[in-house]
Amino acid sequence: MESSTRVFGLSDADVVAAHGIRRSRTRTGSHWNQPLAVAGISLSVAWLIVAVAAPWIAPHDPLAQDSLRFLAPSVSHPFGTDELGRDVLSRVLWGARISIPLAFLLVGVAGIIGCVLGALAGYFGGVIDELVMRAADLVFAFPTIILAMAVVAALGPSLENAVLALIAVRWPAFARIVRGLILAMKDSEYVYSSRLLGASSLRVLLADVMPNVAGPVVVFAALDVGTAILLLAGLSFLGLGARPPTPEWGSMVADGTLAFNYWWIGTFPGLAILTVVLAYNFVGDTLRDALDPRSSRAVESRV
Amino acid sequence: MRPSGTAKELKARRGGGANWGLIRFALRRLLALVLLAVGITLIAFFLSHLVPGDPVSVALGEQASVDPVARAAFIHRYGLDKPVPEQYVIYMQHLLHGDLGNSIQSGRPVAQDLSVAIPATLEVALVAVTITVVVGIGMGLGAALRKDSWLDQVLRIASLAGVSVPTFWLALVAYYVFFFKLGWSPSGGRLDPALNPPVHVTGLYTVDALLAGNLPLALNAVSHLILPATVLAAYTVSFVARFTRSSVLEVLEADYILAARAKGLPERTVIFNYVLRAALVPIITLVGLAFGSLLSGTVLVETIFSWPGVGQYAYRASTSLDLNAIMGVSLFVAIAYVTVNFVVDLLYGVVDPRIRVE
Repeated sequence: MESSTRVFGLSDADVVAAHGIRRSRTRTGSHWNQPLAVAGISLSVAWLIVAVAAPWIAPHDPLAQDSLRFLAPSVSHPFGTDELGRDVLSRVLWGARISIPLAFLLVGVAGIIGCVLGALAGYFGGVIDELVMRAADLVFAFPTIILAMAVVAALGPSLENAVLALIAVRWPAFARIVRGLILAMKDSEYVYSSRLLGASSLRVLLADVMPNVAGPVVVFAALDVGTAILLLAGLSFLGLGARPPTPEWGSMVADGTLAFNYWWIGTFPGLAILTVVLAYNFVGDTLRDALDPRSSRAVESRV
Repeated sequence: MRPSGTAKELKARRGGGANWGLIRFALRRLLALVLLAVGITLIAFFLSHLVPGDPVSVALGEQASVDPVARAAFIHRYGLDKPVPEQYVIYMQHLLHGDLGNSIQSGRPVAQDLSVAIPATLEVALVAVTITVVVGIGMGLGAALRKDSWLDQVLRIASLAGVSVPTFWLALVAYYVFFFKLGWSPSGGRLDPALNPPVHVTGLYTVDALLAGNLPLALNAVSHLILPATVLAAYTVSFVARFTRSSVLEVLEADYILAARAKGLPERTVIFNYVLRAALVPIITLVGLAFGSLLSGTVLVETIFSWPGVGQYAYRASTSLDLNAIMGVSLFVAIAYVTVNFVVDLLYGVVDPRIRVE
């Protein structure tokens, strides 16, 4: 498996970027003036407000069925109504309360698991490293959606199980990044000097190594929120996540495929996913440029 | 990735040694494949056989699964009454004879199902990879050479949009616009319903139709391929473009590029023979990665375009807890993964002679 680290791991440039964080941090300010960054921040804040305020700003009850089915967009129903006469706009607004918090939860838990395992693997090496990295290889050998699909199918389709399945497939990405960064700075002089001063392993890890790992991990986490929303919507689209009548965006697009001559049913929830994910990618991209002014890297994750 | 060894080693490699090195490398990869396959069967088998789901009631329906006789007959027929380790040994014995068992949902041998599904997915994935390489590298190169220009900005936003758009939604929109509204694209499937598939040679309809000398059939297959392949490629084109841009920017800073320009070489030679060639190594890695993400994409896209490929098969297998089919798909994915990595490693050597395999 000599090639696995090369194929899926970090390139030398990423490691260089990690080392350059302190140096370039002073430049961060200017990046936030870029239109892309402004657009990303405003969009993601706007969606957060929608998620919080949905119960008050949604014009209708997202679950209320009506005899006015398949209504085209109009003043009273700006996004039209779906096959059960539910207001699509209200469902899209309520959908933000599902996808966004779950994506944060997912990235948070997968990130913590991945960081801890990656840090242990990189810092202690040996058997721990082998175990963690081979487990990660196994996960990487499978296309994300196919693996998540199998896990959900085994556990039974529900939103909770979809989140569990995605945590199971997303932690290795964090583990690899953290491991690579730690390997690169384990032999640095400040770690040696800290050791010489008699610091314990735990102290070196928390006080000297972790602060330098935080930057790239935060960037990756921002980009991963977008990926998480996409994956969660994908599973729900396949009928393996949210159950009806939950107003979840992926399952709403799936409703649209069953009645696609009524274009508004699937189009608007899809646009909601697109704009939210775009917002987090704008933010992540700007963060990355701020940390590594030379380049903007490709999104490492796969959907 | 090691730099060249001693002079002696170099000589050995320049002589007949290089071929032996390649064969040893291939054999090592083959061994890795066998180990990975065994590992995957082991994990997939025990996971899928120990999960709480009940394949019997899924297969027979709630009604019949209550009937103890039908239930016992079904369990016996698929050997589910034996202990799981014994089931695994039996499965592996059959596997060694090329028998993947019968699919519960289709009733046919899994190997037969897969021999239809794999070429279908492979055909659309190959077209998507081609689009990815040509368009993605082109976009990335253009953006890097015109860094910070309006073109760079537009390509940056386009590629960010490409990685942000939900594939299944893009498929739906493309289908709605190009089939339902404009009528430019066929309704889905691999061929028009009235046409018979060509004689099975490779399983790739375009290739098989051409082999049979049937040009209209090949063109029909192509017309069915374009939309799903393009939708599938939207994501991978975007991330290959972004990666190419940063990879090219890095190379442009190198001293030998400065030297090449100072020598007065034409810009075209500098770009294609120096910059692109050096930038290509990390890009190839990424295209290999893209293949994996294409397989994921097929699950979502095949549903909408009624494409009878591995994605749909995997979906049906996992939702109906069709254990043999799940195992078959897992094995295919593992083999595809190792094969793609192998090809990627061979391509490294083609692009960069310094990293010929040892």
